[in-house]
Amino acid sequence: MTPELSALALAGLLQVVQYILMAVPANLELGPGYTASPRDRPPSREMSKTTGRLIRAMDNHFEGLILFTIAVVVVTLGGQATGFTAACGWTYLAARILYIPAYALGWRPWRSAIWGIGFLATVAMILAALI
Amino acid sequence: MSSELNILALYGLFTALILILKVSGATGQLGMGYLLSSRDEGRTLTGITGRLDRALTNSITAMALFAPAILILHAKGAFSGESLTAAQVFLVVRVLYVPAYGFGITGIRTALWLAGFAATVLLHLMALMAP
Repeated sequence: MTPELSALALAGLLQVVQYILMAVPANLELGPGYTASPRDRPPSREMSKTTGRLIRAMDNHFEGLILFTIAVVVVTLGGQATGFTAACGWTYLAARILYIPAYALGWRPWRSAIWGIGFLATVAMILAALI
Repeated sequence: MSSELNILALYGLFTALILILKVSGATGQLGMGYLLSSRDEGRTLTGITGRLDRALTNSITAMALFAPAILILHAKGAFSGESLTAAQVFLVVRVLYVPAYGFGITGIRTALWLAGFAATVLLHLMALMAP
């Protein structure tokens, strides 16, 4: 497997981890009676600050992951993989791992900077595929 | 790189551009301080920035449906004149969709969305029917 595809597979697994990190405290705080319901009304109990942050971090990674998937697909299938695109792939993965504690612990302004690094790595890969 | 993959890459770049536009609008509306914070209290975007935000969410959903069709066609070696036309239509209408949303051109926006959706469905049908 190419480095870009390995980074993509690990980023997919990272999202699974983010699911668990969000779902466990959310279920504990809202109660399984609510989370297992059709959620037609808003929950009666509130979630903690950290759980809210973990949910937003996961939602944000969905957005990042789909763009990164496109980047890996066009680089790999387009036969444009280079050392540079491999480095971008690993940079993306590292940034997205760091993004989780950055959000949960409120590292300011580092969370935004880390997000920016992941975003730039993705855009650089797509540009590398096009040029 | 094949033309369909080029289109996928261009659509990825376009989505990244919309994201940047949305963040610039959000910086003006909510303030850099809020964006850099952990956003523990939710704030809503309004006006053109709110529309860009919704257009971005819609673009990402469209990408998640479009990308697998291209991926399957590539894997099956089934790119054709028809698939190229469908992908070109997708790109053009999805690009036009964003200003149509931003400027609130009702009717046209929905027609553009439908055209993009129809192109995606056609690509999936071509992918399914390819040997």
